[in-house]
Amino acid sequence: MRRLLADNLVFATAAIVIAMAALFAALRLAG
Amino acid sequence: MQLLYAVRGTVWIILYLFFILAPLFALLTAPLPPARDFWTEFSAALGYAGLAMMGLQFGLTARFRYVTEPWGEDVIYHFHRQISLIAVGLVVAHPLILFAVRPELLGLLNSISAPWRARFAALSIYSLIALVAMALRRAKWNIRYETWHVTHIILAVVAVVAGLLHMVGWSFYLAAPGKRALWIGLTIFWIMLLLYVRVVKPLFMLRRPYRVVEVRQERGDTWTLVMQPDGHPGFRFSPGQFGWLTLWGTPFKITGHPFSFSSSAAGADGRVEMTIRNLGDFTSTIRKVSLGQRVHLDGPYGAFTIDRNPADMHVLVAGGVGVTPMISMIRTLADRGDSRPMILLYGSKDWESITFREELEALTARLNLTIVHVLANPPAGWTGERGFITAAVFKRHLPPPYADHEYFICGPDVMMDAIEKALGELNVPLAKYHSERYSFV
Repeated sequence: MRRLLADNLVFATAAIVIAMAALFAALRLAG
Repeated sequence: MQLLYAVRGTVWIILYLFFILAPLFALLTAPLPPARDFWTEFSAALGYAGLAMMGLQFGLTARFRYVTEPWGEDVIYHFHRQISLIAVGLVVAHPLILFAVRPELLGLLNSISAPWRARFAALSIYSLIALVAMALRRAKWNIRYETWHVTHIILAVVAVVAGLLHMVGWSFYLAAPGKRALWIGLTIFWIMLLLYVRVVKPLFMLRRPYRVVEVRQERGDTWTLVMQPDGHPGFRFSPGQFGWLTLWGTPFKITGHPFSFSSSAAGADGRVEMTIRNLGDFTSTIRKVSLGQRVHLDGPYGAFTIDRNPADMHVLVAGGVGVTPMISMIRTLADRGDSRPMILLYGSKDWESITFREELEALTARLNLTIVHVLANPPAGWTGERGFITAAVFKRHLPPPYADHEYFICGPDVMMDAIEKALGELNVPLAKYHSERYSFV
């Protein structure tokens, strides 16, 4: 149960971080 | 209680993301260098975020009890391993994207002509790749655990420090003194987390030593160490939890060994027991421990305890020496005079190697405890369960509905995988079974 939760957290973290990196780049271009 | 752990766990997840993303978005504050194209900015963001994730790896393994409690140490290490692949992927993606959109940067791969800021980037990435490769292939490459552990720490520090020097040397976002100070401060903070677990914690352990007061041989080439706090009251633990044991040398030694406490948690004198099977490695030295020997304990850790998961009926499933947290639970419930029904499904190699066999039998008189031995190599005339613990064994010995019980599982990984599958077949929800993988280091 806890391991499954950890696996899901890994995927969620990866998705959030990549999305935030894209947001970072978009904000930069938006000035 | 469960809700409190869930809330605490959520707070730590939010903080974890904050420590990755806040330093990244702090780069967007003024003064700002001129913006570049989307992919260059995206790749830079991946590099910064990846490095922050690598730095936080030091925190995940710093054994902060308050942080690890909601999940358990084995899950934290599992997360540490999985997230490192993501972090390294992000860091490696950073130059790959740059090379794709700005091929002129490929010249930086020549470490002889490249400036220092590029050499540091290469050093950081090569260290990360070596670190991941060694972690994944340690067993296959036959690297001694202690050697791997020291190398792992050195490579991690080199990767993080070289990554920072690359960022500072590139002097783009970190040209601003405030942002530079923030990222240098962060890196120092990450290294401090490492120093905490490698220097501060051992110092604390050094001041709170234990003495071995008994070394007891058990069935199944297994030994119980009885340890008494020396000049301090010791600590309280919950049945099922574990501690890190340093048997030989000082607590500053890089490699500690995690073992479950096997004694009752109801004892008040701080005395703790660990029961350790000889598996041919460090565990083969247990029998050589002498009475009065000074040892060091760091604990308690772990979320694998009946105290956190109260139930009408506890189903304990143990394989081999995985019985150690179970005997602690059983002894504790006996000392507490707990009369709730409990069943122990206990897989062993053969009848003679069943650790705690006689004591468990005796404890059935004091508790509402049923013991089901499952033997891989049963003796002639054995009428009990044979082979391995399967869904059929559960069906024969547990009263339905199966989803109403709380399941505690400890044993070799292959057994735990099989049990989790068997419980899935019985439609036991995931939240009802609890496991601790003692092969997590």
